[in-house]
Amino acid sequence: MPLRFDIKNTFTLVLVLAVIVLFPLLLSSLWVKVVTSALIFSLAALGVSVVFAQLGLINLSQIALVGVGGWVLLRLNYATELPFTVMLVLGGIVTASIGALLALPALRMRGLYLALVTLMAAGAFQILFNAFQFPNGGEGFWGVAQQSAGVVRRPAFAQSDANYLRYVISAVAICITVVGLHRYAAPGRAWAMTRQSEANAMAAGVNVTFYKLWAFALSGCVAGIAGGLLAGALQQLDARSFLAGDSILLFALAIVGGVYHWLGAIIAGLLFKLLPALLNDFGLSADIAMVIFGAALLHAIMTAPQGIAGQLIGAISSIGKKGSATDD
Amino acid sequence: MIDISNLTVKFGGVVALDDLSLKITDDVVGLIGPNGAGKTTLTNAFSGFVNVSSGSVSVNGLNLIDMPPHKRTRWGVARSFQKVQTVFDLTVEEHLNTVLDAKGASGQLREKAIVRALNFVGLAAQRKTLGVDLNPYHRRMTEIAKCLVGAPRIILLDEPGGGLSESEMLELRRIILGIHPEFGAQILLVDHDVDLIRDVCTSTVVLDFGKLIAFGPTEEVLQDEVVKAAYLGR
Ligand SMILES: Nc1ncnc2c1ncn2[C@@H]1O[C@H](COP(=O)(O)OP(=O)(O)OP(=O)(O)O)[C@@H](O)[C@H]1O
Ligand SMILES: [Mg+2]
Repeated sequence: MPLRFDIKNTFTLVLVLAVIVLFPLLLSSLWVKVVTSALIFSLAALGVSVVFAQLGLINLSQIALVGVGGWVLLRLNYATELPFTVMLVLGGIVTASIGALLALPALRMRGLYLALVTLMAAGAFQILFNAFQFPNGGEGFWGVAQQSAGVVRRPAFAQSDANYLRYVISAVAICITVVGLHRYAAPGRAWAMTRQSEANAMAAGVNVTFYKLWAFALSGCVAGIAGGLLAGALQQLDARSFLAGDSILLFALAIVGGVYHWLGAIIAGLLFKLLPALLNDFGLSADIAMVIFGAALLHAIMTAPQGIAGQLIGAISSIGKKGSATDD
Repeated sequence: MIDISNLTVKFGGVVALDDLSLKITDDVVGLIGPNGAGKTTLTNAFSGFVNVSSGSVSVNGLNLIDMPPHKRTRWGVARSFQKVQTVFDLTVEEHLNTVLDAKGASGQLREKAIVRALNFVGLAAQRKTLGVDLNPYHRRMTEIAKCLVGAPRIILLDEPGGGLSESEMLELRRIILGIHPEFGAQILLVDHDVDLIRDVCTSTVVLDFGKLIAFGPTEEVLQDEVVKAAYLGR
Protein backbone atom coordinates (compact mmCIF):
# COMPACT_ATOMS: atom_id res chain seq x y z
CA MET A 1 0.00 0.00 0.00
CA PRO A 2 1.52 3.28 -1.04
CA LEU A 3 1.74 6.35 1.14
CA ARG A 4 -1.59 7.96 0.53
CA PHE A 5 -3.16 11.17 1.53
CA ASP A 6 -6.26 11.42 -0.56
CA ILE A 7 -7.00 15.08 -1.08
CA LYS A 8 -10.10 14.12 -3.02
CA ASN A 9 -11.22 12.82 0.31
CA THR A 10 -13.06 15.86 1.63
CA PHE A 11 -14.00 13.81 4.64
CA THR A 12 -10.36 13.98 5.73
CA LEU A 13 -10.33 17.73 5.31
CA VAL A 14 -13.49 18.19 7.34
CA LEU A 15 -12.06 15.92 10.00
CA VAL A 16 -8.85 17.94 10.18
CA LEU A 17 -10.81 21.18 10.50
CA ALA A 18 -13.03 19.71 13.19
CA VAL A 19 -9.97 18.53 15.08
CA ILE A 20 -8.37 21.98 14.79
CA VAL A 21 -11.42 23.69 16.24
CA LEU A 22 -12.69 21.21 18.79
CA PHE A 23 -9.75 19.19 20.00
CA PRO A 24 -7.99 21.91 22.02
CA LEU A 25 -11.30 22.69 23.79
CA LEU A 26 -11.46 19.19 25.17
CA LEU A 27 -8.03 19.20 26.74
CA SER A 28 -6.79 20.63 29.99
CA SER A 29 -3.88 23.02 29.72
CA LEU A 30 -1.36 20.33 30.64
CA TRP A 31 -2.63 17.99 27.94
CA VAL A 32 -2.68 20.75 25.37
CA LYS A 33 1.08 20.99 25.87
CA VAL A 34 1.59 17.24 25.69
CA VAL A 35 -0.50 16.80 22.56
CA THR A 36 1.27 19.73 20.93
CA SER A 37 4.67 18.16 21.36
CA ALA A 38 3.33 14.72 20.37
CA LEU A 39 2.09 16.15 17.07
CA ILE A 40 5.37 17.94 16.55
CA PHE A 41 7.18 14.63 16.80
CA SER A 42 4.59 13.11 14.46
CA LEU A 43 5.91 15.52 11.91
CA ALA A 44 9.45 14.32 12.53
CA ALA A 45 8.24 10.71 12.23
CA LEU A 46 6.58 11.57 8.92
CA GLY A 47 10.00 12.38 7.49
CA VAL A 48 11.49 9.10 8.68
CA SER A 49 8.53 7.21 7.21
CA VAL A 50 8.81 8.79 3.79
CA VAL A 51 12.45 7.90 3.38
CA PHE A 52 11.89 4.35 4.62
CA ALA A 53 8.62 3.64 2.83
CA GLN A 54 9.58 5.21 -0.48
CA LEU A 55 13.24 4.27 -0.74
CA GLY A 56 13.77 1.58 1.87
CA LEU A 57 16.49 3.71 3.48
CA ILE A 58 16.95 4.03 7.24
CA ASN A 59 17.57 7.45 8.71
CA LEU A 60 18.61 7.57 12.35
CA SER A 61 19.39 11.25 12.61
CA GLN A 62 15.90 12.70 12.61
CA ILE A 63 15.86 13.94 16.23
CA ALA A 64 19.16 15.70 15.61
CA LEU A 65 17.56 17.45 12.64
CA VAL A 66 14.64 18.49 14.84
CA GLY A 67 17.29 20.08 17.03
CA VAL A 68 18.82 21.85 14.04
CA GLY A 69 15.45 23.25 13.02
CA GLY A 70 14.86 24.42 16.58
CA TRP A 71 18.30 26.01 16.73
CA VAL A 72 17.71 27.93 13.50
CA LEU A 73 14.35 29.21 14.68
CA LEU A 74 15.73 30.36 18.03
CA ARG A 75 18.68 31.98 16.30
CA LEU A 76 16.40 33.87 13.93
CA ASN A 77 14.01 34.75 16.74
CA TYR A 78 16.70 36.63 18.64
CA ALA A 79 18.53 38.04 15.64
CA THR A 80 15.63 39.22 13.49
CA GLU A 81 12.11 40.54 13.61
CA LEU A 82 10.81 37.99 11.11
CA PRO A 83 7.32 36.59 11.69
CA PHE A 84 7.14 33.11 13.21
CA THR A 85 5.90 31.35 10.09
CA VAL A 86 8.71 32.81 8.01
CA MET A 87 11.28 31.65 10.58
CA LEU A 88 9.65 28.24 10.56
CA VAL A 89 9.95 27.93 6.80
CA LEU A 90 13.56 29.17 6.85
CA GLY A 91 14.34 26.58 9.54
CA GLY A 92 12.79 23.97 7.29
CA ILE A 93 14.93 25.05 4.36
CA VAL A 94 18.20 25.07 6.33
CA THR A 95 17.42 21.66 7.82
CA ALA A 96 16.45 20.32 4.41
CA SER A 97 19.91 21.18 3.10
CA ILE A 98 21.57 19.54 6.09
CA GLY A 99 19.31 16.51 5.61
CA ALA A 100 20.41 16.28 1.99
CA LEU A 101 24.04 16.61 3.07
CA LEU A 102 23.60 13.69 5.47
CA ALA A 103 22.15 11.75 2.55
CA LEU A 104 25.39 11.85 0.62
CA PRO A 105 26.47 8.53 2.18
CA ALA A 106 23.08 7.12 1.19
CA LEU A 107 24.14 7.38 -2.39
CA ARG A 108 26.69 4.65 -1.87
CA MET A 109 25.36 2.77 1.13
CA ARG A 110 22.21 1.00 2.13
CA GLY A 111 20.82 -0.91 5.07
CA LEU A 112 22.83 -1.20 8.22
CA TYR A 113 25.80 0.85 7.02
CA LEU A 114 23.69 3.83 6.11
CA ALA A 115 21.81 3.54 9.40
CA LEU A 116 25.12 3.61 11.27
CA VAL A 117 26.36 6.64 9.37
CA THR A 118 23.19 8.60 10.10
CA LEU A 119 23.35 7.53 13.74
CA MET A 120 26.91 8.80 13.98
CA ALA A 121 25.82 12.10 12.50
CA ALA A 122 23.12 12.25 15.16
CA GLY A 123 25.81 11.61 17.79
CA ALA A 124 27.90 14.43 16.39
CA PHE A 125 24.96 16.81 16.62
CA GLN A 126 24.31 15.69 20.18
CA ILE A 127 27.86 16.75 21.04
CA LEU A 128 27.50 20.05 19.19
CA PHE A 129 24.25 20.86 20.95
CA ASN A 130 25.86 20.15 24.29
CA ALA A 131 28.89 22.25 23.47
CA PHE A 132 27.08 25.28 22.08
CA GLN A 133 23.61 24.99 23.62
CA PHE A 134 20.54 26.63 22.08
CA PRO A 135 20.24 30.41 21.68
CA ASN A 136 18.33 31.98 24.56
CA GLY A 137 18.79 35.65 23.77
CA GLY A 138 22.48 36.03 24.62
CA GLU A 139 25.15 37.88 22.65
CA GLY A 140 27.10 36.68 19.62
CA PHE A 141 26.50 34.06 17.02
CA TRP A 142 25.72 31.28 19.45
CA GLY A 143 23.45 33.58 21.42
CA VAL A 144 23.74 31.79 24.73
CA ALA A 145 23.84 33.64 28.04
CA GLN A 146 23.60 32.65 31.67
CA GLN A 147 20.14 34.02 32.01
CA SER A 148 16.57 32.88 31.87
CA ALA A 149 15.48 32.50 28.29
CA GLY A 150 13.88 35.31 26.33
CA VAL A 151 10.54 35.09 24.59
CA VAL A 152 10.00 33.17 21.38
CA ARG A 153 7.42 35.02 19.32
CA ARG A 154 4.43 33.01 18.29
CA PRO A 155 2.08 33.92 15.46
CA ALA A 156 -0.30 36.71 16.51
CA PHE A 157 -3.33 34.43 16.31
CA ALA A 158 -1.63 31.62 18.19
CA GLN A 159 -0.47 33.26 21.41
CA SER A 160 -2.34 30.97 23.77
CA ASP A 161 -1.32 27.33 24.10
CA ALA A 162 -4.67 26.14 22.75
CA ASN A 163 -4.38 28.33 19.66
CA TYR A 164 -0.76 27.32 19.24
CA LEU A 165 -1.92 23.71 19.19
CA ARG A 166 -4.33 24.68 16.40
CA TYR A 167 -1.41 26.25 14.54
CA VAL A 168 0.60 23.05 15.00
CA ILE A 169 -2.27 20.87 13.77
CA SER A 170 -2.55 23.06 10.67
CA ALA A 171 1.19 22.92 10.05
CA VAL A 172 1.15 19.14 10.41
CA ALA A 173 -1.82 18.83 8.03
CA ILE A 174 -0.07 21.01 5.44
CA CYS A 175 3.14 19.00 5.70
CA ILE A 176 1.23 15.72 5.40
CA THR A 177 -0.47 17.05 2.28
CA VAL A 178 2.76 18.21 0.69
CA VAL A 179 4.50 14.94 1.48
CA GLY A 180 1.48 12.95 0.31
CA LEU A 181 1.29 14.82 -2.98
CA HIS A 182 4.79 13.60 -3.78
CA ARG A 183 3.33 10.14 -4.18
CA TYR A 184 1.37 11.24 -7.24
CA ALA A 185 4.08 13.33 -8.79
CA ALA A 186 7.45 12.78 -10.41
CA PRO A 187 9.38 12.24 -7.14
CA GLY A 188 6.97 9.55 -5.91
CA ARG A 189 7.21 7.65 -9.18
CA ALA A 190 10.98 8.01 -9.28
CA TRP A 191 11.25 6.77 -5.68
CA ALA A 192 9.01 3.79 -6.34
CA MET A 193 11.04 2.76 -9.33
CA THR A 194 14.33 3.31 -7.51
CA ARG A 195 13.21 1.19 -4.58
CA GLN A 196 12.35 -1.69 -6.88
CA SER A 197 15.60 -1.46 -8.86
CA GLU A 198 18.06 1.36 -9.29
CA ALA A 199 19.08 0.04 -12.68
CA ASN A 200 15.48 0.04 -13.82
CA ALA A 201 15.02 3.60 -12.57
CA MET A 202 18.12 4.78 -14.41
CA ALA A 203 16.93 3.03 -17.54
CA ALA A 204 13.74 5.06 -17.22
CA GLY A 205 15.89 8.20 -17.17
CA VAL A 206 15.54 8.82 -13.44
CA ASN A 207 18.39 10.73 -11.84
CA VAL A 208 18.60 8.39 -8.86
CA THR A 209 21.11 10.54 -6.97
CA PHE A 210 18.96 13.63 -7.23
CA TYR A 211 15.78 11.93 -6.06
CA LYS A 212 17.49 10.25 -3.11
CA LEU A 213 18.77 13.65 -2.03
CA TRP A 214 15.31 15.05 -2.53
CA ALA A 215 13.78 12.42 -0.23
CA PHE A 216 16.26 13.20 2.52
CA ALA A 217 15.80 16.93 1.99
CA LEU A 218 12.04 16.55 2.33
CA SER A 219 12.50 14.47 5.44
CA GLY A 220 14.93 17.04 6.83
CA CYS A 221 12.55 19.85 5.97
CA VAL A 222 9.70 18.41 8.04
CA ALA A 223 12.16 17.68 10.85
CA GLY A 224 13.28 21.30 10.75
CA ILE A 225 9.72 22.56 10.84
CA ALA A 226 9.04 20.22 13.75
CA GLY A 227 12.05 21.70 15.56
CA GLY A 228 10.84 25.23 14.95
CA LEU A 229 7.37 24.36 16.20
CA LEU A 230 8.91 22.78 19.27
CA ALA A 231 10.90 25.93 20.01
CA GLY A 232 7.71 27.96 19.74
CA ALA A 233 5.88 25.53 22.00
CA LEU A 234 8.49 25.25 24.74
CA GLN A 235 9.97 28.77 24.37
CA GLN A 236 13.44 27.35 24.91
CA LEU A 237 15.27 24.18 23.98
CA ASP A 238 17.51 22.03 26.09
CA ALA A 239 20.51 20.29 24.55
CA ARG A 240 19.73 17.17 26.56
CA SER A 241 16.49 16.56 24.72
CA PHE A 242 18.10 15.80 21.35
CA LEU A 243 19.79 12.52 22.06
CA ALA A 244 21.00 10.31 19.22
CA GLY A 245 19.31 7.35 20.86
CA ASP A 246 15.93 9.03 20.57
CA SER A 247 16.29 8.96 16.79
CA ILE A 248 16.41 5.17 16.98
CA LEU A 249 13.30 5.20 19.14
CA LEU A 250 11.51 7.51 16.72
CA PHE A 251 12.40 5.25 13.79
CA ALA A 252 11.14 2.19 15.67
CA LEU A 253 7.90 3.97 16.53
CA ALA A 254 7.45 5.06 12.92
CA ILE A 255 7.54 1.34 12.03
CA VAL A 256 5.09 0.55 14.82
CA GLY A 257 2.74 3.32 13.69
CA GLY A 258 3.07 2.32 10.05
CA VAL A 259 5.29 3.98 7.47
CA TYR A 260 2.96 3.65 4.50
CA HIS A 261 0.27 5.98 5.74
CA TRP A 262 0.37 9.45 7.26
CA LEU A 263 -1.78 8.18 10.10
CA GLY A 264 1.16 5.99 11.11
CA ALA A 265 3.30 9.08 11.68
CA ILE A 266 0.59 10.59 13.90
CA ILE A 267 0.46 7.37 15.90
CA ALA A 268 4.26 7.35 16.18
CA GLY A 269 4.28 10.89 17.59
CA LEU A 270 1.53 10.05 20.07
CA LEU A 271 3.41 6.96 21.23
CA PHE A 272 6.63 8.92 21.50
CA LYS A 273 5.32 11.77 23.66
CA LEU A 274 1.79 11.03 24.78
CA LEU A 275 2.13 7.48 26.05
CA PRO A 276 4.90 8.24 28.57
CA ALA A 277 2.87 11.20 29.84
CA LEU A 278 -0.25 9.06 30.16
CA LEU A 279 1.67 6.43 32.11
CA ASN A 280 2.97 9.17 34.37
CA ASP A 281 -0.55 10.40 34.85
CA PHE A 282 -1.61 6.93 35.97
CA GLY A 283 1.21 6.98 38.49
CA LEU A 284 3.29 4.47 36.53
CA SER A 285 6.90 4.84 35.55
CA ALA A 286 7.35 6.29 32.07
CA ASP A 287 10.00 3.62 31.53
CA ILE A 288 7.16 1.13 31.10
CA ALA A 289 6.64 2.87 27.75
CA MET A 290 9.92 1.31 26.61
CA VAL A 291 8.64 -2.17 27.38
CA ILE A 292 5.42 -1.44 25.49
CA PHE A 293 7.39 -0.03 22.55
CA GLY A 294 9.55 -3.13 22.43
CA ALA A 295 6.55 -5.44 22.36
CA ALA A 296 4.80 -3.25 19.78
CA LEU A 297 7.89 -3.29 17.56
CA LEU A 298 8.08 -7.07 17.68
CA HIS A 299 4.41 -7.22 16.85
CA ALA A 300 4.85 -4.85 13.93
CA ILE A 301 7.84 -6.70 12.53
CA MET A 302 6.29 -10.13 12.85
CA THR A 303 2.64 -9.61 12.04
CA ALA A 304 1.88 -6.07 10.95
CA PRO A 305 4.36 -4.69 8.41
CA GLN A 306 1.89 -1.90 7.66
CA GLY A 307 1.92 -0.89 11.33
CA ILE A 308 -0.99 0.14 13.49
CA ALA A 309 -2.17 2.55 10.78
CA GLY A 310 -2.38 -0.33 8.31
CA GLN A 311 -4.38 -2.43 10.77
CA LEU A 312 -6.73 0.44 11.60
CA ILE A 313 -7.34 1.25 7.96
CA GLY A 314 -7.77 -2.44 7.15
CA ALA A 315 -10.36 -2.74 9.93
CA ILE A 316 -12.20 0.41 8.86
CA SER A 317 -12.31 -0.60 5.21
CA SER A 318 -13.58 -4.08 6.09
CA ILE A 319 -16.34 -2.52 8.21
CA GLY A 320 -17.06 -0.24 5.25
CA LYS A 321 -17.29 -3.24 2.93
CA LYS A 322 -19.59 -5.11 5.30
CA GLY A 323 -21.71 -1.99 5.59
CA SER A 324 -22.06 -1.56 1.87
CA ALA A 325 -22.69 -5.29 1.46
CA THR A 326 -25.71 -5.09 3.77
CA ASP A 327 -26.86 -1.94 1.96
CA ASP A 328 -27.16 -3.86 -1.30
CA MET B 1 24.30 4.64 -37.45
CA ILE B 2 25.56 2.75 -34.44
CA ASP B 3 29.32 2.53 -34.29
CA ILE B 4 30.81 0.19 -31.71
CA SER B 5 34.56 0.18 -31.80
CA ASN B 6 37.10 -1.93 -29.90
CA LEU B 7 34.67 -2.43 -27.04
CA THR B 8 36.06 -4.53 -24.19
CA VAL B 9 34.27 -5.35 -20.95
CA LYS B 10 35.88 -7.45 -18.22
CA PHE B 11 34.45 -8.92 -15.02
CA GLY B 12 37.52 -9.88 -13.04
CA GLY B 13 39.15 -12.55 -15.16
CA VAL B 14 36.12 -13.02 -17.44
CA VAL B 15 36.30 -11.11 -20.69
CA ALA B 16 32.61 -10.64 -21.43
CA LEU B 17 33.21 -8.52 -24.53
CA ASP B 18 36.50 -8.85 -26.32
CA ASP B 19 37.57 -5.96 -28.54
CA LEU B 20 34.25 -5.84 -30.33
CA SER B 21 33.87 -3.61 -33.39
CA LEU B 22 30.62 -3.23 -35.33
CA LYS B 23 28.90 -0.71 -37.56
CA ILE B 24 25.13 -1.11 -37.58
CA THR B 25 22.94 0.69 -40.08
CA ASP B 26 19.89 -1.57 -40.39
CA ASP B 27 16.69 -0.60 -38.66
CA VAL B 28 16.09 -3.86 -36.84
CA VAL B 29 19.14 -5.87 -35.91
CA GLY B 30 19.33 -9.21 -34.15
CA LEU B 31 21.89 -10.11 -31.50
CA ILE B 32 22.27 -13.81 -30.85
CA GLY B 33 24.77 -16.18 -29.29
CA PRO B 34 24.91 -19.01 -26.77
CA ASN B 35 24.40 -18.43 -23.04
CA GLY B 36 27.12 -16.26 -21.61
CA ALA B 37 28.16 -14.99 -25.04
CA GLY B 38 28.00 -11.37 -23.90
CA LYS B 39 24.65 -10.26 -25.36
CA THR B 40 23.35 -8.74 -22.13
CA THR B 41 26.77 -7.26 -21.46
CA LEU B 42 26.66 -5.49 -24.83
CA THR B 43 23.21 -4.10 -24.03
CA ASN B 44 24.50 -3.00 -20.63
CA ALA B 45 27.57 -1.33 -22.12
CA PHE B 46 25.35 0.44 -24.64
CA SER B 47 22.96 1.74 -21.99
CA GLY B 48 25.68 2.54 -19.45
CA PHE B 49 25.23 -0.19 -16.86
CA VAL B 50 28.71 -1.69 -16.91
CA ASN B 51 32.13 -0.11 -16.84
CA VAL B 52 33.88 -0.69 -20.10
CA SER B 53 37.62 -1.35 -20.04
CA SER B 54 38.15 0.27 -23.42
CA GLY B 55 36.45 1.19 -26.65
CA SER B 56 33.46 3.32 -27.50
CA VAL B 57 29.83 3.23 -28.54
CA SER B 58 28.68 6.10 -30.72
CA VAL B 59 25.44 6.86 -32.45
CA ASN B 60 25.56 9.16 -35.46
CA GLY B 61 28.97 10.36 -34.34
CA LEU B 62 28.01 11.06 -30.70
CA ASN B 63 30.07 9.01 -28.26
CA LEU B 64 27.80 7.76 -25.48
CA ILE B 65 30.40 5.96 -23.41
CA ASP B 66 31.02 8.71 -20.83
CA MET B 67 27.35 9.53 -20.29
CA PRO B 68 25.68 8.19 -17.14
CA PRO B 69 22.79 5.78 -17.81
CA HIS B 70 19.94 8.19 -17.06
CA LYS B 71 21.38 10.75 -19.45
CA ARG B 72 21.63 8.12 -22.19
CA THR B 73 17.97 7.36 -21.65
CA ARG B 74 17.07 11.02 -21.86
CA TRP B 75 19.13 11.31 -25.01
CA GLY B 76 17.20 8.44 -26.56
CA VAL B 77 18.61 5.04 -25.60
CA ALA B 78 15.73 2.92 -24.32
CA ARG B 79 16.16 -0.60 -23.03
CA SER B 80 14.24 -3.48 -21.56
CA PHE B 81 15.73 -5.96 -19.13
CA GLN B 82 16.08 -9.71 -19.55
CA LYS B 83 14.37 -10.11 -16.17
CA VAL B 84 11.18 -8.11 -16.43
CA GLN B 85 11.09 -5.05 -14.14
CA THR B 86 7.66 -4.10 -12.90
CA VAL B 87 7.07 -1.85 -9.93
CA PHE B 88 4.24 -3.32 -7.89
CA ASP B 89 2.78 -0.12 -6.54
CA LEU B 90 2.89 1.89 -9.75
CA THR B 91 0.19 1.67 -12.39
CA VAL B 92 1.05 1.03 -16.02
CA GLU B 93 0.45 4.69 -16.72
CA GLU B 94 2.76 5.71 -13.87
CA HIS B 95 5.50 3.51 -15.30
CA LEU B 96 5.32 5.48 -18.54
CA ASN B 97 4.99 8.76 -16.70
CA THR B 98 8.26 8.09 -14.89
CA VAL B 99 10.03 8.00 -18.24
CA LEU B 100 8.19 11.10 -19.44
CA ASP B 101 9.03 12.95 -16.20
CA ALA B 102 12.70 12.34 -16.88
CA LYS B 103 12.39 13.45 -20.48
CA GLY B 104 10.54 16.59 -19.45
CA ALA B 105 7.40 15.98 -21.50
CA SER B 106 4.57 18.42 -20.85
CA GLY B 107 0.85 17.80 -20.30
CA GLN B 108 -0.72 17.29 -23.72
CA LEU B 109 2.27 15.67 -25.36
CA ARG B 110 2.48 13.38 -22.39
CA GLU B 111 -1.10 12.23 -22.71
CA LYS B 112 -0.63 11.65 -26.44
CA ALA B 113 2.56 9.68 -25.92
CA ILE B 114 0.96 7.47 -23.28
CA VAL B 115 -2.15 6.73 -25.33
CA ARG B 116 -0.08 6.01 -28.41
CA ALA B 117 2.33 3.64 -26.66
CA LEU B 118 -0.41 1.81 -24.76
CA ASN B 119 -2.57 1.37 -27.84
CA PHE B 120 0.44 0.16 -29.76
CA VAL B 121 1.26 -2.64 -27.31
CA GLY B 122 -2.40 -3.37 -26.56
CA LEU B 123 -2.42 -2.19 -22.95
CA ALA B 124 -5.04 0.55 -23.19
CA ALA B 125 -7.36 -1.38 -20.89
CA GLN B 126 -4.62 -1.88 -18.28
CA ARG B 127 -3.67 1.79 -18.09
CA LYS B 128 -4.74 2.17 -14.45
CA THR B 129 -3.77 -1.34 -13.34
CA LEU B 130 -1.09 -1.63 -10.66
CA GLY B 131 2.07 -3.52 -11.55
CA VAL B 132 1.32 -6.17 -8.95
CA ASP B 133 -1.94 -7.06 -10.70
CA LEU B 134 -0.45 -7.48 -14.19
CA ASN B 135 0.12 -10.91 -15.73
CA PRO B 136 3.61 -11.71 -17.07
CA TYR B 137 2.67 -10.81 -20.64
CA HIS B 138 1.26 -7.45 -19.62
CA ARG B 139 4.35 -6.79 -17.53
CA ARG B 140 6.48 -7.45 -20.59
CA MET B 141 4.32 -5.12 -22.66
CA THR B 142 4.55 -2.41 -20.00
CA GLU B 143 8.29 -2.65 -20.31
CA ILE B 144 8.13 -2.31 -24.08
CA ALA B 145 5.70 0.61 -23.79
CA LYS B 146 8.20 2.29 -21.44
CA CYS B 147 10.78 2.03 -24.22
CA LEU B 148 8.40 3.62 -26.71
CA VAL B 149 7.40 6.82 -24.92
CA GLY B 150 9.46 9.97 -25.14
CA ALA B 151 10.83 9.63 -28.68
CA PRO B 152 13.51 6.94 -28.35
CA ARG B 153 16.29 6.81 -30.92
CA ILE B 154 17.61 3.34 -30.13
CA ILE B 155 15.69 0.55 -28.44
CA LEU B 156 17.58 -2.37 -26.92
CA LEU B 157 15.34 -5.35 -26.19
CA ASP B 158 16.99 -8.07 -24.09
CA GLU B 159 15.07 -11.31 -24.64
CA PRO B 160 11.59 -9.77 -24.69
CA GLY B 161 10.23 -13.20 -25.63
CA GLY B 162 11.45 -14.89 -22.46
CA GLY B 163 8.67 -16.89 -20.82
CA LEU B 164 5.96 -16.00 -23.35
CA SER B 165 3.53 -18.52 -24.80
CA GLU B 166 3.38 -19.25 -28.53
CA SER B 167 0.42 -16.99 -29.19
CA GLU B 168 1.99 -14.22 -27.12
CA MET B 169 5.15 -14.63 -29.18
CA LEU B 170 3.14 -14.00 -32.34
CA GLU B 171 1.78 -10.83 -30.83
CA LEU B 172 5.28 -9.76 -29.74
CA ARG B 173 6.57 -10.37 -33.25
CA ARG B 174 3.86 -8.16 -34.70
CA ILE B 175 4.66 -5.45 -32.19
CA ILE B 176 8.41 -5.46 -32.73
CA LEU B 177 7.89 -5.39 -36.50
CA GLY B 178 5.72 -2.31 -36.06
CA ILE B 179 8.06 -0.32 -33.84
CA HIS B 180 10.40 1.07 -36.46
CA PRO B 181 7.70 2.15 -38.95
CA GLU B 182 5.60 3.68 -36.15
CA PHE B 183 8.21 5.19 -33.82
CA GLY B 184 11.24 5.47 -36.07
CA ALA B 185 13.70 4.05 -33.54
CA GLN B 186 16.50 1.69 -34.45
CA ILE B 187 16.14 -1.65 -32.67
CA LEU B 188 18.68 -4.09 -31.33
CA LEU B 189 16.91 -7.33 -30.45
CA VAL B 190 18.48 -10.02 -28.28
CA ASP B 191 16.68 -13.35 -28.32
CA HIS B 192 17.22 -17.08 -28.36
CA ASP B 193 14.24 -17.65 -30.62
CA VAL B 194 15.81 -17.95 -34.06
CA ASP B 195 12.41 -17.79 -35.78
CA LEU B 196 11.69 -14.46 -34.16
CA ILE B 197 15.08 -13.11 -35.22
CA ARG B 198 14.62 -14.44 -38.76
CA ASP B 199 11.20 -12.78 -39.05
CA VAL B 200 11.98 -9.34 -37.72
CA CYS B 201 15.71 -8.64 -38.16
CA THR B 202 17.19 -7.73 -41.50
CA SER B 203 20.69 -8.25 -40.22
CA THR B 204 22.07 -10.16 -37.26
CA VAL B 205 25.13 -10.07 -35.01
CA VAL B 206 26.42 -13.32 -33.54
CA LEU B 207 28.60 -13.32 -30.43
CA ASP B 208 30.43 -16.19 -28.79
CA PHE B 209 32.67 -15.81 -25.74
CA GLY B 210 32.51 -12.05 -26.16
CA LYS B 211 33.82 -12.15 -29.71
CA LEU B 212 32.05 -11.30 -32.93
CA ILE B 213 31.77 -14.49 -34.95
CA ALA B 214 29.37 -13.35 -37.65
CA PHE B 215 27.52 -10.24 -38.81
CA GLY B 216 25.44 -9.70 -41.93
CA PRO B 217 22.04 -10.31 -43.47
CA THR B 218 20.10 -12.59 -41.12
CA GLU B 219 19.55 -15.46 -43.61
CA GLU B 220 23.24 -15.61 -44.52
CA VAL B 221 24.32 -15.46 -40.90
CA LEU B 222 21.97 -18.26 -39.90
CA GLN B 223 23.38 -20.44 -42.70
CA ASP B 224 26.97 -19.75 -41.65
CA GLU B 225 28.81 -22.94 -40.64
CA VAL B 226 30.68 -21.25 -37.79
CA VAL B 227 27.44 -19.91 -36.38
CA LYS B 228 25.76 -23.28 -36.69
CA ALA B 229 28.62 -24.93 -34.86
CA ALA B 230 28.77 -22.34 -32.10
CA TYR B 231 25.12 -21.81 -31.54
CA LEU B 232 22.49 -23.54 -33.58
CA GLY B 233 24.10 -26.95 -33.28
CA ARG B 234 23.79 -26.95 -29.51
N1 LIG C 1 27.92 -8.51 -13.29
C1 LIG C 1 28.71 -9.54 -13.68
N2 LIG C 1 29.70 -9.95 -12.89
C2 LIG C 1 30.51 -10.97 -13.26
N3 LIG C 1 30.40 -11.63 -14.42
C3 LIG C 1 29.42 -11.27 -15.25
C4 LIG C 1 28.51 -10.21 -14.93
N4 LIG C 1 27.63 -10.07 -15.94
C5 LIG C 1 27.98 -10.99 -16.86
N5 LIG C 1 29.04 -11.72 -16.45
C6 LIG C 1 29.71 -12.78 -17.22
O1 LIG C 1 29.97 -12.26 -18.51
C7 LIG C 1 29.70 -13.24 -19.49
C8 LIG C 1 28.66 -12.73 -20.46
O2 LIG C 1 27.42 -12.65 -19.80
P1 LIG C 1 26.11 -12.08 -20.47
O3 LIG C 1 25.10 -11.96 -19.40
O4 LIG C 1 26.42 -10.87 -21.24
O5 LIG C 1 25.70 -13.25 -21.46
P2 LIG C 1 24.40 -13.39 -22.36
O6 LIG C 1 24.89 -13.55 -23.74
O7 LIG C 1 23.44 -12.31 -22.11
O8 LIG C 1 23.83 -14.78 -21.85
P3 LIG C 1 22.31 -15.28 -21.68
O9 LIG C 1 21.90 -15.79 -23.02
O10 LIG C 1 22.41 -16.37 -20.69
O11 LIG C 1 21.49 -14.14 -21.21
C9 LIG C 1 29.28 -14.50 -18.75
O12 LIG C 1 30.40 -15.31 -18.59
C10 LIG C 1 28.82 -13.97 -17.41
O13 LIG C 1 29.01 -14.94 -16.41
MG1 LIG D 1 21.55 -12.20 -21.31
